[in-house]
Amino acid sequence: MRARNFVSVIAAVGAGVALVSGCGQGGASGSSGDSKVIKIGTLHPMTGSNAGDGAQLQHGAELAVKKINDAGGIKALGGAKLELDAGDTKGTPDTGQSEAQRLVSDGAVALVGSYQSAVSANIAAVAERNKVPFVMDISGDDAILSHGYRYSFRLQPQNSRFGATAAQYIKDITKSKGRPVTKIAYLHEATAFGTGVYTAFKSEAQKLGLAMGPEITYDAASVSDLTTQIAKVKASGANILVVSGYYRDGVLAAKAVQTVKPKLDAVIGAADGAFDQPQFPTDAGSAANGYFDVNYHLNDKSAEAKAFADLYQAAYHDKARASAGFAYDSVRIIAAALERAGSKDPGKIRDAIAKTDLNPLSLSNGPVTFDEKGENTAGLPVLTQIQDGAPSVVYPDNLAAKTIVYPAPVQ
Amino acid sequence: MTARTTSEEAVPSEGGTISRGGTSRRAALGRSPVTVTFALLIGLTVAALLRSGSTAITGQALLTGLIAGGVYSLLAMGLSLIFGVLDIVNFAHGAFLGVGLFVTYEVAHQTGLNPYIALPVAIVGLFVLGALIQLLLLNRTIGGSLERQLLITLGLSLLISNVLLLAFGGDPLSANLTSDPGVHVFGAVANLSRVIAFGAALVLAVLLYVLLERTSFGRAIRAVAASRQGAGLVGIDVRLVYVVTFGLGTACAGAAGMLIAPFTTITPTAGDQFNILAFVVVVMGGLGNVTGALVSGLIVGLVEQLGGVAIAGQSPLLGVFILFLLILLIRPQGIFGAKAP
Repeated sequence: MRARNFVSVIAAVGAGVALVSGCGQGGASGSSGDSKVIKIGTLHPMTGSNAGDGAQLQHGAELAVKKINDAGGIKALGGAKLELDAGDTKGTPDTGQSEAQRLVSDGAVALVGSYQSAVSANIAAVAERNKVPFVMDISGDDAILSHGYRYSFRLQPQNSRFGATAAQYIKDITKSKGRPVTKIAYLHEATAFGTGVYTAFKSEAQKLGLAMGPEITYDAASVSDLTTQIAKVKASGANILVVSGYYRDGVLAAKAVQTVKPKLDAVIGAADGAFDQPQFPTDAGSAANGYFDVNYHLNDKSAEAKAFADLYQAAYHDKARASAGFAYDSVRIIAAALERAGSKDPGKIRDAIAKTDLNPLSLSNGPVTFDEKGENTAGLPVLTQIQDGAPSVVYPDNLAAKTIVYPAPVQ
Repeated sequence: MTARTTSEEAVPSEGGTISRGGTSRRAALGRSPVTVTFALLIGLTVAALLRSGSTAITGQALLTGLIAGGVYSLLAMGLSLIFGVLDIVNFAHGAFLGVGLFVTYEVAHQTGLNPYIALPVAIVGLFVLGALIQLLLLNRTIGGSLERQLLITLGLSLLISNVLLLAFGGDPLSANLTSDPGVHVFGAVANLSRVIAFGAALVLAVLLYVLLERTSFGRAIRAVAASRQGAGLVGIDVRLVYVVTFGLGTACAGAAGMLIAPFTTITPTAGDQFNILAFVVVVMGGLGNVTGALVSGLIVGLVEQLGGVAIAGQSPLLGVFILFLLILLIRPQGIFGAKAP
């Protein structure tokens, strides 16, 4: 009896799926008849533990579509309007993969996503198989583009660049401020992200002659207290603490540092998800003061980035994060490629994206250009510091909005 | 013989058990499980000392573990109570903790006062929420299959976290204390808010124990746990007991949520990470054994922290799950659980 029930449930679910996918294909053929609309698929975590960041990215993409459509759409295609087809990855690789497949079947000519490397890795495989271009706004893991994919591109600097740049910046600053590194303790979350940044940091630090202290890892999904880990930092006698983690654990780390009070000259994030966020000083309180982060950042000096931030604030009543700027730029890159290709053929769009030359909203070494692997060669990690309750760029000097404060001991 | 007496002293009175047919529990509680667990804890402490080479780090791990364990205990006691009395595997427990977090956030931000004034609100609010869920949803499934209730609670957990997402958005929120200084204990240090959470969790745990052991309603709850039909025959309103028990269980989750709110980043899915850990604690303590959950919560907290130091470079939960597997293999009824009838 029970077995039969089970079978009938499976059958019902199967029928439901068939129905839904059938509808999807029907919709695709319907919309391809309407030549005035071009669909771009977005894949972000709209629910689940990363829903806050997913919303930021989605909003960034929406603003870009609105701007392009208000300016007359894609002129090379008779003023065709862009339309976002939004997928929800739920933050899991398998959902991201099935959603990517659904959007492609739905007639999306390009994909944008996805915030998490593990999810993007699966989407990139779907994009390659279906020959549809995929522009990654946020996803750091180097390995995603190590398979020789032709259809995937990445806007954000990859993890290894954050690690190496962080080591370089630390060397520069500690030297110029006359308080050199005695030892660097490194705290990172234990998955590919934290480990990848750490590995790149360590190899660069050894080249630069910086002394590495203990490597301390933790599980970002389950951690609820980092006091013991920070006690290890204190016992090691290091004067610099480098952290690579996500938002929630970054706040925990800052609070633990304030409680344990290790004798540090600076706490520096390497691609840390907390230390450069506008709400970090609110959540961590006075513990946040003086914290550094080596990360991507909006170009606060560019008029276009300012306009974007204002538009975002007006539309969503929230501060735009740098990541939203990357989603915005990803859609602009696809739109520019549509203009140049003059076609909705995904293969031609791909070739046009490969020749991208576009000024981004984020701080950058000039316009975005992709190398043959699909990496953005112009992406530039910068050093930010929390001063007066907000993150500001403090290094490299030519991009700095505020003067660096180092040493920045724990208060 | 002496070993047996000491090990039994370490275990609170057998009355704390809410499980069927546990009459010969005293006999089932051999010297092994409790002594072995404590030997393991001491062994882990020594390993942590040798590995880190520092009493400061080990002392910190002990303090942090104990304090984290207090909250695990409170959370798991609610879960264990629900399982013991209602036979429901409650997958929504972490979500209820999440509701406790948001209740605290709302109260603290609406009134602008210290977040701890939200404690009674969270307890009463979650009690009512739990009681309503039992009354309107789960009471209808009494006597049905275990999967039905399990699926309902799983659905509830998805519903709750997505309603929270809809209402509050996915961005992290906080309900910090205006000042949260470190409290020093033998060279180790913990935030005041964590010490308060530990103390309050233990007080609430003792209150729950007293309620179950020393009041007539508590006796009715235990009677229903022992035999639903028997309790019904002597005139106990079984459905009411179910409603109150589920409410008490969710109130534990709500209180735990309030107590961790001052040092936790509040997001709609913040409760999920505690779900698995709470189940580990419940199974270790013996399914349905409320006092067992109290003690094994502390053990899990300690093993998590000491294991993190002793087996560095791994997830701190590795030690917890190794212990968990060992217990499942050697003593599937849990450290403090009675042998299955």
